[in-house]
Amino acid sequence: MTLLAKLKDVAARSPWLYRINAGSCNGCDVELATTALIPRYDVERLGCLYCGSPRHADIVLITGPLTKHVLAAAQRVFAEIPDPKVTVAVGVCPISGGIFRESYAICAPIDQYFPVDVNVPGCPPRPPAIIEGVAKAIAIWRQRL
Amino acid sequence: MNFLTLFARNLRLGPYTEPFPLGPATPAPKRLRARIEFDAKSCEGCLLCEKLCPSGAIRFARTPAGLAFDCFHSTCVFCGTCAFYCPTGAIRQTTDWSLAHLEGETFALAEHGLIPPIVCAECGGKGLDTAPNVAKVRPPLSDEEYSALRARCPKCRNKFLRSRGKTP
Amino acid sequence: MTSQLPILVAALVFPGGVFALALGLALKGADRRFAARLQGRVGPPLAQPFFDIVKLGFKRTMAPDVACAPVFFGAPLVGAASMLLAMTLVPIAGVYAPGPIGGDLLVLIYLLAVPGVALMLAGSSSGSPYGAIGFSREMAMMLAYEGPIVLIVAAVALRVGLATGQGPTFSLSAIVAYQQAHGALLFDPVMWPAVVAFVFFYPANLGIVPFDIPEAETEVLEGPLLEYSGRPLALFKVMSALKAVVVLGLGVALFMPLPFAGVVGLVGWLVQLLALALIGVTAVRVGAGRMRIDQAFVFFLKWPLAFALIGVIAAAYFSAGVAP
Repeated sequence: MTLLAKLKDVAARSPWLYRINAGSCNGCDVELATTALIPRYDVERLGCLYCGSPRHADIVLITGPLTKHVLAAAQRVFAEIPDPKVTVAVGVCPISGGIFRESYAICAPIDQYFPVDVNVPGCPPRPPAIIEGVAKAIAIWRQRL
Repeated sequence: MNFLTLFARNLRLGPYTEPFPLGPATPAPKRLRARIEFDAKSCEGCLLCEKLCPSGAIRFARTPAGLAFDCFHSTCVFCGTCAFYCPTGAIRQTTDWSLAHLEGETFALAEHGLIPPIVCAECGGKGLDTAPNVAKVRPPLSDEEYSALRARCPKCRNKFLRSRGKTP
Repeated sequence: MTSQLPILVAALVFPGGVFALALGLALKGADRRFAARLQGRVGPPLAQPFFDIVKLGFKRTMAPDVACAPVFFGAPLVGAASMLLAMTLVPIAGVYAPGPIGGDLLVLIYLLAVPGVALMLAGSSSGSPYGAIGFSREMAMMLAYEGPIVLIVAAVALRVGLATGQGPTFSLSAIVAYQQAHGALLFDPVMWPAVVAFVFFYPANLGIVPFDIPEAETEVLEGPLLEYSGRPLALFKVMSALKAVVVLGLGVALFMPLPFAGVVGLVGWLVQLLALALIGVTAVRVGAGRMRIDQAFVFFLKWPLAFALIGVIAAAYFSAGVAP
């Protein structure tokens, strides 16, 4: 393996997570908090950290059905995240609108606006399901480094 | 417990993190509401689940091949209303939570079912191979009566049950 | 052993540069792992901070349009360089003594202020309101803890200087040599107020809960570091790793240098740093919650300053008649 490939393998062990709440009911955000914080579903084993700034992020977790109010702000924040990055849609709301599917106020599915890579269905998804989605995202991110 | 005793306890007992994804996942709780499963053989064709689904994940379609059932897991919110109201238990919730997938597979993650058409054994008309709802029939149906009922169209099913004496 | 290393070697290889960076990142990894175990979690692998730095090298470097680019990109360089230089001034008892150009305690205290200034410049030059908040909070914290450290240094200098019969001595090598001959200042009752003040000082300097207010993630979105990504951010992480080694090394040199030389002395120093990091940094960080900036500022102006003042007065009063 070349030195660059080895360095990329090393770099792939430190994916930092950033959450964008695009109009979510906070159910999925609570599950995201438990995935990181509580000892039972520790996500720091995989090297993940929740960062406070989009500039530090590698894996973006988007929750919520992207209400019309938040569309512009979410697109601006998403543009601030440096490449390479991977996008994970957490919950059924970003994938299809979920329970808000027929609402006039939402812009789901969000893959019209953001390049989503991994979907994690569930309302809300269990923390192990979110960790599974993050593990898939880390595999994709390694390819993009 | 103050934080020093908590530290001592955590250091003594070691971490209690679940090994997933670096190991097998612990079994899900028995009553976990997760992915649904559809059994076409037990479906009555009442379409209650389609009416009640809050996110519109369940769709039935009348096709030449029969009554088609589709449920997209990426729209299902796992509420369990369909399973609660299904009269025959054809649609159930399993404990399978492991549904994370890549973006391209979104529409592949669906549950499909088909209730084939039949030709009525009595009048020769069109019918569907739906399971009759016989929970409240008295006296209970025998197996041959059940198969006879299943092979008939809805009108002839009613005639058959009335001719037995007690109405369902 | 290596008392007359050329300054470039001392800054870039040992004890600064490669050695200090590896040590700082290893201490940080041990801190994260131990913190996880204290919380009942598994925690990241010990080499995780190394992975973080490598990963940051692969990310794209972005800067806001409104940022002042020379200051924005120069601040991490200045901070990291100052810590590399500061590492050449920290003595390792029995192993490394700074040459006569360095070895001045006051230069080290000045150099320790530069990373804080670098963070402030980073926050204010980024053009973001969160950076501005981080800038003002970092300034408040520096005002709060610079007073105690200057008084602590004066107390140690007075104690060692007056006890050996000269005036106050600001040479770290002389302080270490005095303690190797007469016993560590940690066990000297006259210095205990200064030790207590130092115990309050170093969490604020290193940015550890309960005093990590300028870089609070949940409150000001990481404050001064908000707009940084890629290599400048990696430089800031390098700077904070080096600063941890410098401050903990300073604490060891001021209060508890070991009397061994050679490899035993080096291993003893590493063990001391690890113990200070695990007990003094991790356990405090895991067990405490973050203070508000006004609470922290008022607290520092009361207790650590009081203890440091008492330490200076006690050192001056009680050292006058002590035989060398």
